[in-house]
Amino acid sequence: METSTTTALVDLVRRAQRGDESAQREIILSYQHRVAGFVYAMTSRSDSVEDLAQQVFIKMIRAINGLQAPAQFESWLFRLARNTCIDHLRRQKLRRIFLPFAPEHEDVPEPLGAVDTEELDALRYAISQLRPQDRALLALVQEGRSHAEIAETFKTSVAAVKARLHRAREQLRQHYQSDHET
Amino acid sequence: MKPENQAWDKLFERAAALLPTDFADRVFRAARAGVGAAPSMLSQFALGAATAAICFLAVAVFKVQGTHEENNRAIADWQQIASSAEDSGFMQ
Repeated sequence: METSTTTALVDLVRRAQRGDESAQREIILSYQHRVAGFVYAMTSRSDSVEDLAQQVFIKMIRAINGLQAPAQFESWLFRLARNTCIDHLRRQKLRRIFLPFAPEHEDVPEPLGAVDTEELDALRYAISQLRPQDRALLALVQEGRSHAEIAETFKTSVAAVKARLHRAREQLRQHYQSDHET
Repeated sequence: MKPENQAWDKLFERAAALLPTDFADRVFRAARAGVGAAPSMLSQFALGAATAAICFLAVAVFKVQGTHEENNRAIADWQQIASSAEDSGFMQ
């Protein structure tokens, strides 16, 4: 990220931390599409994108005061998004244990027109076969985050990110090709 | 370009299109309405204390009821023994 962009973001985050609603709104408008993309990649379901993205930004508004380093805002926001999605997936898993649905109700297809291409459908299938941590990793890489930024988001080392990324890409490619070829 | 890259672009485009135009307003409205707010420590403590009190009360009620039934059974048994002893002249 360029220095001027970083400075502008830091100023915006500081204003948001002081409770300036216009700054908070500006942050939401700047990041809503990226967060929505991340949520879609994590859940593979279009019906949970708006709800989960909303939860992420509500958490952001409530917790932004506690952010010590405004320059780390993006990593912090995507960590928040990742944790929100993982909590959602865990709740769904628990719900399946206590309220098991019949197989035909378990995987309700997306409404007509929701999935517009075969490639997207294949990618959604491939992503859903991966662990949530690996989905988050791939989604962040795909939206242009550097290995160092991802390491900061995941609170891990760059080497660990590279190793996990290599493995996740391999698995994604296998699932993507197997679904795409059928 | 990797084959799945195009699909990733479509996925991000699709996700962006899923948000309503007034998304930011909806976030503020939901935040003000307290949607997704974590319960306070006090409310969690109150819920825990209420649950413990109900459990304690339930245990106490069952215990008292059980003891009362046991006593009634014992008294009835003793009365039966006493009357049969009286009938057989053992008490004289």
